[in-house]
Amino acid sequence: MTTVHDAGASPVTLKSKRDRRGSPLPTGAMIATRFMELRLRRGLMITLVLVTVGLPTVFLGVRLLLHALVPKTYGPAGGYDIYTAMSAGVLYTFGFIVASTLGCTAGSVDLSEGMFRHLVITGRSRLALYLARIPAGLAIICSLVAIGFTIVCAVCVFAAPAKLSYNGVAVPSGLSQSGLEDWAAQHPTEVLCSFYYDGQPSQGVGCDNPPGQPARIVVAGPDRQQPVPATASQARAAAVEIARQNYPDYKKQFRYPSNSLMVKTGLWLELEAVIGFVVGLGLGSLLGQRTTAVMLMIVLEIILTPIAIRTRIPHFINGQRGIVGVATAHLEPGQLPLAFGGGGHDFRVTESTTTAVCVILAWLIGWTALGAWRMITRDA
Amino acid sequence: MPDVLAVPAEPAGGGSWAIETRGLAKRFGSNVAVNGVDLRIPRGCAFGYLGPNGAGKTTLIRVLLGLTRADAGTMSLLGYPVPSHRDQALARVGAIVDEPRFHAHLTGRQNLQVLAAAREPAARTRIDASLERVGILHRADDRVSKYSMGMRQRLGVAACLIGDPELLILDEPMNGLDPAGMHEMRDMIRSLVAEGRTVVLSSHLLDEVQRTCDAVAIVDRGQVIRQGPISELLAGTSVVLQVDCSEPDRARGLLAGLGATISVEAGGLAITLPAGTREVTAEVARVLVAGGISVYRLQPLQASLETWFLQVTSRLGDPQ
Repeated sequence: MTTVHDAGASPVTLKSKRDRRGSPLPTGAMIATRFMELRLRRGLMITLVLVTVGLPTVFLGVRLLLHALVPKTYGPAGGYDIYTAMSAGVLYTFGFIVASTLGCTAGSVDLSEGMFRHLVITGRSRLALYLARIPAGLAIICSLVAIGFTIVCAVCVFAAPAKLSYNGVAVPSGLSQSGLEDWAAQHPTEVLCSFYYDGQPSQGVGCDNPPGQPARIVVAGPDRQQPVPATASQARAAAVEIARQNYPDYKKQFRYPSNSLMVKTGLWLELEAVIGFVVGLGLGSLLGQRTTAVMLMIVLEIILTPIAIRTRIPHFINGQRGIVGVATAHLEPGQLPLAFGGGGHDFRVTESTTTAVCVILAWLIGWTALGAWRMITRDA
Repeated sequence: MPDVLAVPAEPAGGGSWAIETRGLAKRFGSNVAVNGVDLRIPRGCAFGYLGPNGAGKTTLIRVLLGLTRADAGTMSLLGYPVPSHRDQALARVGAIVDEPRFHAHLTGRQNLQVLAAAREPAARTRIDASLERVGILHRADDRVSKYSMGMRQRLGVAACLIGDPELLILDEPMNGLDPAGMHEMRDMIRSLVAEGRTVVLSSHLLDEVQRTCDAVAIVDRGQVIRQGPISELLAGTSVVLQVDCSEPDRARGLLAGLGATISVEAGGLAITLPAGTREVTAEVARVLVAGGISVYRLQPLQASLETWFLQVTSRLGDPQ
């Protein structure tokens, strides 16, 4: 016998007004337990720590050790060049990948491990369940990137070379143009024999550096056939001229990164990690499984973004600008080498800072909306 | 220890039904999993929800809990219409749907912490008591990956209890439990009912359902085909009268006039009678004694829930 109830149900208010489980905002406890759940994934955390902290630590540690043991063969572990390579190269690319891996994991494991159903049955807003993952995951990945970057900064500053090596010549760092010219006047042989210059210095002064013999500064002889040693004033004048020509390049060279550059770089790396996590979270939630999502994120970072930055695709230049990696590369601090640079191409997609910021915001908001939508509408 | 499983003095929502559905339907493509189900489950009882595999039991539970959307019909939990007041309804509902699965890398306690965080703040204070009640407090700090199926099942029940639920919906809660565990689960369900809670039990273990539940609904092909207290449902079923006697073959001939189905078994007869057997039993005894047949035992056996279930479901023919 099947029965039918004629009277309609009449809801009353919840007994506890503190119980706002229909609210889309996650509680602190939800964020804390989500943090715990991610933090206790041993394999994932070991991978994250190895890439963000272990990689720079091992690389710089080996350099420190080698420099300490054989200083004449191995240069200082730190310095400006190491800093730029580690931050714009290693931490930028791998930070994004590990952040997106964490995001994809956070976005998919509840479903794949059967906890999603338990969580939905609590009556808690699905949007709140989704949003709780964002601060929890960011607390992990941002901390790890910060630790890795701090190690890079510390080594690069405290183990920087004593003098700036400019074209193989130890030059005092931080000189003004006149200071560099004064220094060049005092070291004409090093400048004339090691610094690059366009054309020929005035009066034909140059460096004669035959194999096996000491270098000397010469000038064309009266018959224009045999060079003769230049006078001191000729050498100084030529060295000053070359120093002036090299100054624009010299002023970009530092023994170690400045504080402002480190702050900017740190924020830029954290931005990249945030983007990686949030996009990975949305993609993981959308697909409902981790492996494919992680693969797609790696393809985006390693293949699509470099291509989009450095390739002119006819009629698709605005599409290229819409890729988040192009936008974050645009926001890179100016004193770092170009992200995904090299390769011998002279083309690079350009866009305004406003466009870059809009693209990044669109990716963050768009993927969050997609991931949350899928979580809200998904059958549990 | 906090008063972890205290039953509220008043029902959370209005109405006297723990679960009420009208015309509920759910389709997956051309397959109709739930087909216009009208169901009323009273508060404060253990209710069995039975049906063959693929009958739509779990789908109905999933629809009720908001795990998937209904295509048609209305429903309410504890008086709250869902899905419009789903959060309020589920605040007082605990449920296990299908096999209980958890984060394997977390301990049982940590899994409950994750779930408690999504409930009201008081849920966190009930974790230990819930684990103790289901008998796995001593393993609470072991990883779930080391749990047996039965322990996961218990953890699933504990996950229900941390919300101090007024209504528990347990989908195959006996799965993976050993006989002692099943006995404990049965006792626990009865104790939950004794506290005034409503327990809805979906199970294939009909004997367990018969021992545990006060009322049942039979679902087949997405429809509820029978519903009511077990005693009432079984009251109208046939009774098998077992007769242990001498000369079974001659006895069969003497009883042919009763109009009942009689079969000869080792040591006697099995007579299938319609409901209301007292007078028929007496008549059988009179006929056999008058015929000079020695009667050693005369025992009416009420049809079990399993027999009745097989009779009314489509597995044995016309469900009606």
